[in-house]
Amino acid sequence: MAARKGLTLTDVLITVVIALVFSIIYSIWGGVYTALQPFGLHLNELVYGMWFIAAVVAYLIIRKPGVAIIAEFAAASGETIVLLQFDVMLMLYGLIQGLACEIVFAIVRYKSTALMVAVLAGVAAALSTLPLDWYYGYLGHLETWNLVLMVGFRVLSGALIAGWLAHLLYRGLKETGVLKLVGSREANHSGEL
Amino acid sequence: MFGSIKKYETFADRSNPITKIFMAVILFITVVFIHNPNYLFHLSIIMMLAMIVLSGVKFRYLAALLCFILLIGFISSLYMIFYGEGTTTLYRLGIIHITEESFVRGIHIMMRGLVLSFFGATVIFTTRITDVFYSLMQQLKLKPKYAYSFMAAVRMVPIIASEYMALRQARKVRRALIDKKYVSGLKGFRTAVITLLSQSIRRAYRLGIAMEAKGFDDGPRTYYHKTSFSLSDVFLILLTAACIYTAIQLGQTAAPFASTDAR
Repeated sequence: MAARKGLTLTDVLITVVIALVFSIIYSIWGGVYTALQPFGLHLNELVYGMWFIAAVVAYLIIRKPGVAIIAEFAAASGETIVLLQFDVMLMLYGLIQGLACEIVFAIVRYKSTALMVAVLAGVAAALSTLPLDWYYGYLGHLETWNLVLMVGFRVLSGALIAGWLAHLLYRGLKETGVLKLVGSREANHSGEL
Repeated sequence: MFGSIKKYETFADRSNPITKIFMAVILFITVVFIHNPNYLFHLSIIMMLAMIVLSGVKFRYLAALLCFILLIGFISSLYMIFYGEGTTTLYRLGIIHITEESFVRGIHIMMRGLVLSFFGATVIFTTRITDVFYSLMQQLKLKPKYAYSFMAAVRMVPIIASEYMALRQARKVRRALIDKKYVSGLKGFRTAVITLLSQSIRRAYRLGIAMEAKGFDDGPRTYYHKTSFSLSDVFLILLTAACIYTAIQLGQTAAPFASTDAR
């Protein structure tokens, strides 16, 4: 097949399917998140990073411009479909988080699959929605220690779940050999780990 | 999709999905800029009424949904109620410190969530998912490859779900033979997700190639399902604007909260 530069329909379809697998996980994860909320100690922020994982995994697999943002947006809208709850905030957040990941991937020119890149993208996504949360949730009016705890937990979670765990999943997928089918069909996925 | 639990249809069902999404965005922005809890109190009640009337869904389903939305909304505002800044102490227990200011602010955040959830539920009950993509392609000129891959992928969700159930059952059968760490915990999660992902990628690849071969590309195309803007969209926009206006007017006369600024 001729090497086409942009996203082909197959690329988009694979991205969206990956995103929808994660949107099912997101929906289940929402229960975990809510269960951790009543303490109010932001323990829920420790699991927040799961919500950016689709962007990172989809990028690691396909590595083309636009994939991260499509994946994250599709996962967010998929979540509204799975939960039957249309939540404009969720889709907006998905878009912003996807964009944050996309910027990190653009900086490495969509080439690197290093663990560090994934971690950086996770952290970027974790930080990306803080300004919105600041206004929506009046974070400026929290006790300072509580705010620090929240931001710290969120960044840690972005790095661990969206970064490290996403990379772990990517390496596992690579071992299955399924990645030979996808993305720019260069020597990308054939090499050893 | 909700045919079995719906009683009637309104103009909300006939308006274009894009209008609904656009109105939801407007509502989100409005809600973020409202700092007076009295306005928001009335807006959430009006939105609740709008959901009950416009969705056309049988009341017992709405009642269940209402309880769910209220519960989730309350839980998600607890962080502010417990740990927000404030001077007038209402209750203190260890690190939990509820003040009058933080309580009002917490309730304010909860009401923001309620307004959006009620409107979101109305949208879900009155919109067919495929119509969203058809109008995105026809009115907003979204490239068909995005819309069709999304529609095709949504069809795969039940397959993915049933694959997951099969995987679970397979593990249950083999429970005595395999190490527990492959079932629960991180390793269990990893193996489950990788299995689901690899199968889904294979299926998506096959489907994608087939769709490309059949010409689902970006060329000009005609549609069997046509969507358009109509008078119903005007009604919806006017109604949303009226809701916001009424809420602000009511908030100035009937004020359940003493404070007028949650900040």
